[in-house]
Amino acid sequence: MASLPQLIEEDVSEINRALQDLLLKSDAIMALLIDKGGFLITQCGDYNPFDTVTLAALSAASFAATQGIAGLVNEINFSSVYQQGESYSILVLNVDEYSLLTVVFKARISAGAVKYFADTTMREIATQLKVAQERDPDTGLDLSMLNMADPSAVFTKKKKRVA
Amino acid sequence: MAIINQATKELQVKIVYYGPALGGKTTNLVQVHDHVQTTAGNKGKLVSLATSSDRTLFFDFLPIEAVAIKGFKTKFQLYTVPGQVIYNTTRQLVLRGVDGLVFVADSQYDKMEENVKSFSNLEENLKALNLNLRDIPYILQYNKRDLPSAAPLEYMEFLLNNREVQVPSFQACANKCDGVFETLNMITRLLLHKFINESSRKAA
Repeated sequence: MASLPQLIEEDVSEINRALQDLLLKSDAIMALLIDKGGFLITQCGDYNPFDTVTLAALSAASFAATQGIAGLVNEINFSSVYQQGESYSILVLNVDEYSLLTVVFKARISAGAVKYFADTTMREIATQLKVAQERDPDTGLDLSMLNMADPSAVFTKKKKRVA
Repeated sequence: MAIINQATKELQVKIVYYGPALGGKTTNLVQVHDHVQTTAGNKGKLVSLATSSDRTLFFDFLPIEAVAIKGFKTKFQLYTVPGQVIYNTTRQLVLRGVDGLVFVADSQYDKMEENVKSFSNLEENLKALNLNLRDIPYILQYNKRDLPSAAPLEYMEFLLNNREVQVPSFQACANKCDGVFETLNMITRLLLHKFINESSRKAA
């Protein structure tokens, strides 16, 4: 599976601008850009009441499952997943090879309208990701100073309380 | 593959626990969730997409954040796959974008065939995603060592770790949290080691 390019501040701010624009035009509540492996890349809107990390993981899984279903009926163009609820609806759209766009909006708003505005957003995001992909890959993460001989554990168990 | 976000200084990594049905994959995640030492707010909720009888249907998911490494927030996403043979398509979906693997083997004698089949299934599923086990850090966990019917360690090593390059293996009793953190820390270290090697190779 192809991997998402490394993102720098310029990429993220350009993607955030596109997401904000989508929220403004569609009146949606929040928009998330997620990696197809389930990672949350960036988020915009009123996301505080939601567990967006889990939402990202489940959106990616749901989209992947839908692609699996598409394969079973010989369909190659299941490019989105839409769920309508009582209060909120959710739309997951395929941005490109690496990423998905998840939009949460009030159930009274038409999914068609959100999809219409999201079309431009997806194109803008895909363009920015392409820019990131073509950028010099050597400007990556430098972990060379990390001391692997350090025996301390990354994760530790909670100490048992003594009564 | 791992996400590196220079803007937010985040490194996100996906670790998948793989293995035969009822081997203890979900128990590993439950124990990490219950016992991990975290500062407030950086341990996510454990999400289980399971059947009414608590068998994993799609996956279990636990996001946790480790200490900052070189200024980067390192976020780990732990997944399990459903072990039952019929859920193979689901296992493939969960493997998408995997960075590291923990193979949880059941130590009971009568589960050896299932262990071996599950391991071969892992290799096949990775192949279907154009991935190769040789390129992905992975370790073995021999779970349920406390059961009287547990096979000798050497036998399990012979069956599952008998390759050109042997990988680290750990004994565990996941239901008592024994060996769970040792396993998680080792796969974490292997992953970070891989990132270091890759970043220094790019810099060279």
